[in-house]
Amino acid sequence: MLENVLAAMGELATFQTLLLMTVGATAGLIAGAIPGFTIAMAIVLTLPFTFGMEASQGVATMIGVYVGGLSGGLMSGILIGIPGTPSSVATTFDGFPMARNGDPGYALGLGVWSSFFGGIIATVLLVLVAPQLAKVGLEFQPWDYFALIFFALTVTASLAGDNMIKGLISGALGVLIATVGEDDINGVKRFDFGSDYVGEGFAFLPVLIGLFAFSQLMSDVRDRVSARKALTEMQDVSIRIEHRRAIKTIAKDWINLVRSSLIGVFTGVLPAAGSSISNLLAYDQAKKASPTPEKFGTGHSGGIIAPESANNATAGGALITMMALGIPGDVITAVMLGALLIHDVIPSPAFIAEQPKIAYAIFIAFFFANFLVLALQTGALRGFVLITKVRMYVLASIILVYCGIGVFSLNNITNDMWTLAIFGVVGYVMRTLKFPLAPMILGVVLGPIAERWLSRSLALSTDVTEFFTHPWSLFFIIASVFSIGFSWYQKERGRKVWTLWYAPLLLLAMTLPLFMMGGTFRPILACVMIVAAGFMLVKLPQAARTLKSITEA
Amino acid sequence: MGTISRDTVVSIILLLFCGFMIWAGTLIRDPQFGELSPAAWPKGVTWVLTAFCVVYFLQSVIADRNGTAYVPAFDETRRPGLTGWFRYYFNPIICFAIYFVFLATLPFFGTLIGGTLLVFVLLSFLGGIAPKQIVMHAVIAVISVGAMWALFTYGLRVLLPRGDLFTVI
Repeated sequence: MLENVLAAMGELATFQTLLLMTVGATAGLIAGAIPGFTIAMAIVLTLPFTFGMEASQGVATMIGVYVGGLSGGLMSGILIGIPGTPSSVATTFDGFPMARNGDPGYALGLGVWSSFFGGIIATVLLVLVAPQLAKVGLEFQPWDYFALIFFALTVTASLAGDNMIKGLISGALGVLIATVGEDDINGVKRFDFGSDYVGEGFAFLPVLIGLFAFSQLMSDVRDRVSARKALTEMQDVSIRIEHRRAIKTIAKDWINLVRSSLIGVFTGVLPAAGSSISNLLAYDQAKKASPTPEKFGTGHSGGIIAPESANNATAGGALITMMALGIPGDVITAVMLGALLIHDVIPSPAFIAEQPKIAYAIFIAFFFANFLVLALQTGALRGFVLITKVRMYVLASIILVYCGIGVFSLNNITNDMWTLAIFGVVGYVMRTLKFPLAPMILGVVLGPIAERWLSRSLALSTDVTEFFTHPWSLFFIIASVFSIGFSWYQKERGRKVWTLWYAPLLLLAMTLPLFMMGGTFRPILACVMIVAAGFMLVKLPQAARTLKSITEA
Repeated sequence: MGTISRDTVVSIILLLFCGFMIWAGTLIRDPQFGELSPAAWPKGVTWVLTAFCVVYFLQSVIADRNGTAYVPAFDETRRPGLTGWFRYYFNPIICFAIYFVFLATLPFFGTLIGGTLLVFVLLSFLGGIAPKQIVMHAVIAVISVGAMWALFTYGLRVLLPRGDLFTVI
């Protein structure tokens, strides 16, 4: 392990790499601080620059952007009440009131240091968990991989909430888009309609940049009045971050910090669930666990510590899934996966063992990025606030050209620029019609992988019951079924009696594949789950009566 | 009753699209080897998509009947009718059109001139055309695209598309 760490350090500890990471982190902080820009967009825009770099250097730069973006969102959220990114939505609940109450420096300090500690906790877990998860991943066979990807797609769709059917349609459309062009296995052209351009298929990255960045920019300039306004009207740029006071508070509230960071990592590990969810989950849990929940929303320190530590920790969780299983945890890691593929590096369960230099470079870059962002936030707060005074239409116009040039540099063909524009239109229409874009993007990424694994499964055996007889495959199929039902469960929880059955049934269903896996630990775990489910079922009639009386009242 | 929501219209369009894709799936050549034919996966995905669209359609129709259909939040800047719709989405429509014109004229102008023109036209369209603004937009366009072009050409060694107008750039 030590030699891998040293080799990765040697790769990263060059002036050029450190400079690139600093530039990346700065870009991430700026993008995160600008309301209307997302971290995914910042990562997507960084991508063209990484084509000419070494794989580890490119990924380190992107990690800089990722961590910077996660931390940058807190600045506008705290100072102007508009979250810079969806990852900082919950930060505004208490950050903005605290700033308005005359404590902006303290609020920023809490945000900056919580982000930092959340990132460090996630790094430790990333180093410890990723190799272990990769070992589990080595047990996977083609059927299991196919079922895992199916699960990832259902999770994405189910996270669309009330718009679940739109999420499912969006995901299926993404998979369908990825089928256009030559198929990988037989080289047969599909859906080409006699056009050479369509027959070549749509390159993943122009599709992604079009869907995400291009359409976002068009949404930002739809209203001419707001497009001409400065991004923030903040006048006071002479705020100082109160470091010592913030660290003391965080040290006192360390349980909140650790719990929120764990929520963040766990959310990140789940395929398709990202920091936009973890910050709200952590805030909710911090409020529930607090002895003074009524103070949340009025400028409570715990309301800043929870979301900020959770959103940074999510990055670590998403990287765990990407590195250990080769499955992107969210849109951001999907782009990183794309960047690694360009360099012929294919993340899989064997990735950490076969490419230790790059794997450890990712660990170190993630660890270092947290320090870098902390220093940048402290030293250049004034600069970031000034940058958010730029008018949106100026940024949008320049970035549109940049998107085109960046996409061209991928394969040196102008067709990619057309793909970018076409999918910009598609993305804009979908945004307007309230279709979530994340499932579509993951569909584009995961579709070809799913087809490849399905093909391999069928090459080994044409018997489809194999999907139900392989324990991991069955595990993911059961998880998929429950994840589809999760949005209904969440909607009706506390109102309908059937929701009381959800958790015990899930536990009982999961025990079957665990028993099938054999060994010692997993059957014991299954027994524990049966006991827990049994306990819930015994308590169920009483819970049902209470629920009925509440709903009737 | 009697009104059709936006979701219903979208679901019908999606169903028509699915029908088209199902037909297009039948045109995929089958080389008759391998366990998974090249058409199987896209056909399967299309049928799954169709099933989702049918559910979406039924949900929308039921919501229309019950009067619970999703209605976009009221926006006072949006006027009714096709003209109102066009005015509401005027900026993105024109921006997309300008971008497509940029792509179509790229072989003539090349990246440097075409990109500069694109930024200048977008800035002036979105930001206004007062004399002072025009000068400022021209400066922003030249500096930003010039820097980008230099960075990609000399820094990243990317051979960006050149135009017939000036073959050297």
